[in-house]
Amino acid sequence: MPISREFKVGLFVACTAAIIAVSLAALAMGKGLFETVHTFTLSSKSGDGFTEGMPVVFSGFNIGVVHGLELSDEGLVLIRIRIPHRHVKWIRSGSSFVLYRPLIGAARIVVNTDNLSSPALSENVIPEVTVVNDINDAIARIEPMLDRLTKIADNVERLTRTLADPRGDLHKTLGHAEKITSNLAGKKSVLEMAVSDEESIHAVHEALRKLDDIMARLDGLLAKTDAQLYNPEGALPQVNAILKDVLQKLQKLDKTIDNINRISADTSEGMKDFRILRSDIDDAVAAIDNLVQKLDGVVGSKKMPELKTP
Amino acid sequence: MKKTLTLCMCVLILSCAGGQPAPDWKMRGYRHLEEYKQSFLSGKEDAAEPHFEKARRAFAAGNDLEWLSLAFLTQFALHTACLERFDTAPFARLYRLAPTASHMAYCHFLKGNLSAVDPALLDNRYADFLKAAQAADSPRAVLALQNIDDPLSRLIAAGVWIRYLPGNEAISQMAIDTAAANGWRRPLWAHLSALSVHYESQGETEKGRLVKERLELIKQQYNKAGRREAAGAD
Repeated sequence: MPISREFKVGLFVACTAAIIAVSLAALAMGKGLFETVHTFTLSSKSGDGFTEGMPVVFSGFNIGVVHGLELSDEGLVLIRIRIPHRHVKWIRSGSSFVLYRPLIGAARIVVNTDNLSSPALSENVIPEVTVVNDINDAIARIEPMLDRLTKIADNVERLTRTLADPRGDLHKTLGHAEKITSNLAGKKSVLEMAVSDEESIHAVHEALRKLDDIMARLDGLLAKTDAQLYNPEGALPQVNAILKDVLQKLQKLDKTIDNINRISADTSEGMKDFRILRSDIDDAVAAIDNLVQKLDGVVGSKKMPELKTP
Repeated sequence: MKKTLTLCMCVLILSCAGGQPAPDWKMRGYRHLEEYKQSFLSGKEDAAEPHFEKARRAFAAGNDLEWLSLAFLTQFALHTACLERFDTAPFARLYRLAPTASHMAYCHFLKGNLSAVDPALLDNRYADFLKAAQAADSPRAVLALQNIDDPLSRLIAAGVWIRYLPGNEAISQMAIDTAAANGWRRPLWAHLSALSVHYESQGETEKGRLVKERLELIKQQYNKAGRREAAGAD
């Protein structure tokens, strides 16, 4: 069955309308049009820096916006922020809210949550927003620097004034320098300028001349000493000769010492004989003693001797 | 006659055997002490000391403290004769164990403690000299010395006088003569030296000089002779 042209057109229009409707719905879903939004109220002593539509940031991501500002009965500024449901988990009862006003860029409310496991923030609680103000801080820091710069500028001004003064120190110093250079040009030597006394300069020159003489004499003396020390009949060759002689004598003495060693060795050998000889003599004496005693016995004079003091 | 002869022989043999025989150590010690005396007086110092040592050993071997004391007293007496000092310590130790009064009296006499000497305990030959010395009577002392027969005893008495009493020329001279007569060099030199000192102290320097020269000459001659002897022995 052939499809009529009207039916085809009707189908095309219906499909297009359906696609458009679905696309719009998807867009609205994507933009969170159907999402529940939580509204929290923050308070601040001053409304300075707060604007509607200001972003609420958690860890650098936008999680909501400032929806409205109003003044409470106590004079506090109440800031209403709207946080979509998918971001409400970042807002906990332990969260802190900071109004951050950077030097460059737009101001924003920063949410800091240290403990994500703490209970969710009730919408009835009104936490206070603290303010971090980069601009004011910077100005506070720059102020002392500006003071110092002002002082430096003052000093520079004073200096230039002093330098420019005809009776100032620089002019005096330059005057002295000029005097010194003219003096130097007039005198014969640096010494003359330093001492500025003719007689003393003469004395110094005299002393230098004498020193020259002394050096010349010393040279002569050294030359003579050299000659006396090193010439063939000088002291050094003689000392050398003496040393050679001593060396020869020491060599001879070596022989003598060898001889003495030999003699002492011989003597110690001989001492052994001495001991034998000594025992021989003892034996001989004992034998004679025995003989005397026997003779005494024979002669019969072995009476008790009488010992008396002399 | 034959019986008489036999009897006489028996008596003679018995008399010979009758004496108590002296022990060997005693004989040996006695002999060494006599040798010591001679060597000491004649100035042979090297020979003298070993003899005294041997005598002492012999008496010690015989456990005879009295003879040991006598040996030491003999040594002291010889030193006194030569006008030398001596140490009485070894005798004092012996005296404590074997006290003999006469030994102590002799020791006092040699040390010049004349007032402490009991004349009855001292040998009789020193009796007159002791009296004279106790009275410091020099002429009497000279007489007493002349009467001492034993030359060594005379020399010892003279030594006591010269060491502990005022010097006397006659006593010195007598000591010199006695030493010279016996050839005792050591006391001779000592008394000659003492005499020269005595003369010089009395102001008789010339006499003193002469005595000194004499002593030096004697010493020189003695030493030369000694060296020649030594050279001959080599």
